[in-house]
Amino acid sequence: MNDDLSQRHSAFRFHGSWLEFARIAFPNLLLTIVTLGIYRFWATTREREYLWSKTEFIDERLEWTGKGIELFVGFIMAFLLIGLPFVVIQLILQGLIFRGEAAIAGIVGLMMFLLLFYLTGVAYFRALRYRLSRTYWRGIRGGSDNPGLQYGLAYMWKSVVGWLPIFLGVPWSMISLWNDRWNAMSFGPHRFSATAEWKPLMKRYLLFYLVPFLVFVGGVVFGISSRASGATPDTLGSTGIAIGAIFAIIAVLSLYIVLPLAALAYYSKYFRLAVGGLRLHNLEFDFRARAPDWILFFLANMAIVICTLGIGYIFMPYRNWKFFVDHMEAYGEINIDDLTQSETVVAKHGEGLLDAFDVGAI
Amino acid sequence: MSAFFDAWHYDGKNAVRRKVEVQIIGAQFFLLETERRHGPFAFSEVEYVTHKDDADVYGLKEADGWRLMLSGPVPSDLSAMLPARRNYGGWVDRLGFGKAAVAFTLASAAAVAVVLLSPQWLAPLIPSSVDEKLGDALVGDFGGRFCSTPAGDAALQKLVASLDANPDDLQVEVAKIDMVNAVALPGGKVILFDGLVKQARSPDEVAGVLAHEIGHVREKHVMQALLRQMGLAVVLGGIDGNSGALVNNMLSMSYSRESEAEADAHSMKALGGANISPIGTASFFDRLSKMDGSASSSTSDNGIAGYMSSHPLSRSRKDAFEKSIVKGKNYKPALTPAEWTELKTMCTQDRNAKSGFGFDFN
Repeated sequence: MNDDLSQRHSAFRFHGSWLEFARIAFPNLLLTIVTLGIYRFWATTREREYLWSKTEFIDERLEWTGKGIELFVGFIMAFLLIGLPFVVIQLILQGLIFRGEAAIAGIVGLMMFLLLFYLTGVAYFRALRYRLSRTYWRGIRGGSDNPGLQYGLAYMWKSVVGWLPIFLGVPWSMISLWNDRWNAMSFGPHRFSATAEWKPLMKRYLLFYLVPFLVFVGGVVFGISSRASGATPDTLGSTGIAIGAIFAIIAVLSLYIVLPLAALAYYSKYFRLAVGGLRLHNLEFDFRARAPDWILFFLANMAIVICTLGIGYIFMPYRNWKFFVDHMEAYGEINIDDLTQSETVVAKHGEGLLDAFDVGAI
Repeated sequence: MSAFFDAWHYDGKNAVRRKVEVQIIGAQFFLLETERRHGPFAFSEVEYVTHKDDADVYGLKEADGWRLMLSGPVPSDLSAMLPARRNYGGWVDRLGFGKAAVAFTLASAAAVAVVLLSPQWLAPLIPSSVDEKLGDALVGDFGGRFCSTPAGDAALQKLVASLDANPDDLQVEVAKIDMVNAVALPGGKVILFDGLVKQARSPDEVAGVLAHEIGHVREKHVMQALLRQMGLAVVLGGIDGNSGALVNNMLSMSYSRESEAEADAHSMKALGGANISPIGTASFFDRLSKMDGSASSSTSDNGIAGYMSSHPLSRSRKDAFEKSIVKGKNYKPALTPAEWTELKTMCTQDRNAKSGFGFDFN
């Protein structure tokens, strides 16, 4: 392709407007309140229908064909299969503690935790599978034939291995799990291939990892240098103590401000690497948002939510999706004739598990 | 909307977009390309999928990815055959937004009202065998922490018999746990913690607390609270975690305050019937109020603290018990000095009873 890069627009384009979205989000909010939350499954579906239909890939809009009832059934299933048994087990645990069977109670509690851990992994996998299987482009959808049960195990051991070396393995486990997830997915007849590498991520991770130490070291260095110049709190009296207090406050604040910024910088790199390692047949993907974009996006989200006293929260799905689509890029070519229908099974229920655990998107 | 009627088709087998004309033949239709004819398809199989860009998108049952996209002014003979657009979802679209919102509000209010009010008359309907089994399952022998000496048991028995007309279906025990507390559990079980008995200055104080717990048993508060909690968990299960839990806690809190007041009333009545002076219980709450700090605040300005705590503040309970003293009535002590000593030292004498919880509760 010899197209002039400055002339070319991204393969992904978003045509939505927040005013249109508001006409969906506000009635959704009202209906969700008056149904004690039950409508939220249909609310999510309506929002996705809108966002997908406003997203253009090359020359055709996406379609969201998920149904509210699917999410609802998924939620009910998660409630009956996980929620209810866990409440019962909780009661039994209390009974065991009353009887002084603390060891058995501990074992049952640990098993409960492990099961929940496992199901969280499965839920992540299934949410992605559900979303792909309900996303159509030119009448073709995605999906996976993998039920994600093995991914649940991988999620457990890779997370633990990531935490073991004093959390230094987290970038490896995040990238490796991303690859595992996407390698099991397909769109039309083509399988995704995810080959993101974790090593380039380490520098950013160490930045985030070392922030608390750097702030501490900075404080110590400041203390030593002020002492060396003779400006100890003793000689400066109350002013010295005040300055010391101000610096202590700055240190704490910087921890609260710098740490989230470093986390965003890390996440930005993670997402860029993860999407960059993704391929679908002859298509390659790219995510162009860099750390400053993420930080501005995040600050704007906070400002919107705070300035609207929380109401702005209902626009977050819109903001997130717009940010995602605006920065997505794809290169390569698609042969329309070869892009045949996906033969993966279609799961009948939605993100129930995921919904129950309340974990975020993408 | 474009000025001209346009029809596009995806067959769902590959991603080729086809410009078609719709040819209607009775209840069926063909899609005509320049050199190909697709169909026939039955209108009864057509379903509404979504709206995208300026087109309405229709699908075909059992034909994955089959799409017919219509934009511009749809000819009336065709639009008459097509299913209606879906906006909010089936029910809301059928009723209209306003009516549906009102209907949902009423249904939700009714559901919450049923859950809050029904335990009062549902709890007595639950057979006592279920109640007992639940109590046994929860408590058992309390891990061998119940204290028992012949003389101590007799003293406790006498106390219970003086406070309740049917002492046989109550199971009152003293547990070797050093906490100033007492609990009523399902199955008519009442447990006094040894810490409470030890720090009581007279048997009258223990009698007041015991009568309070018996009040919970007789008013079926435990089963009511259990049913109410379960009902609220189901009804408010749709609301996302935090706000649901908050509403749940507020509602059940106000009910437990009501129960505490009822149990106090029961206690005063039982003390009066047994000719035991409520002054002991009043002084017990007086000492408690010095611990929880409510003694320092005046009765008028403890509004928020009083509302948020599950027990009425010790201070106001002390006042209530003091008011129930009948002047000139010839009160007698709840136990003889010898019986009182036996009860007080029961857990010290019983060397078989295990002590404490063996681990930290929190």
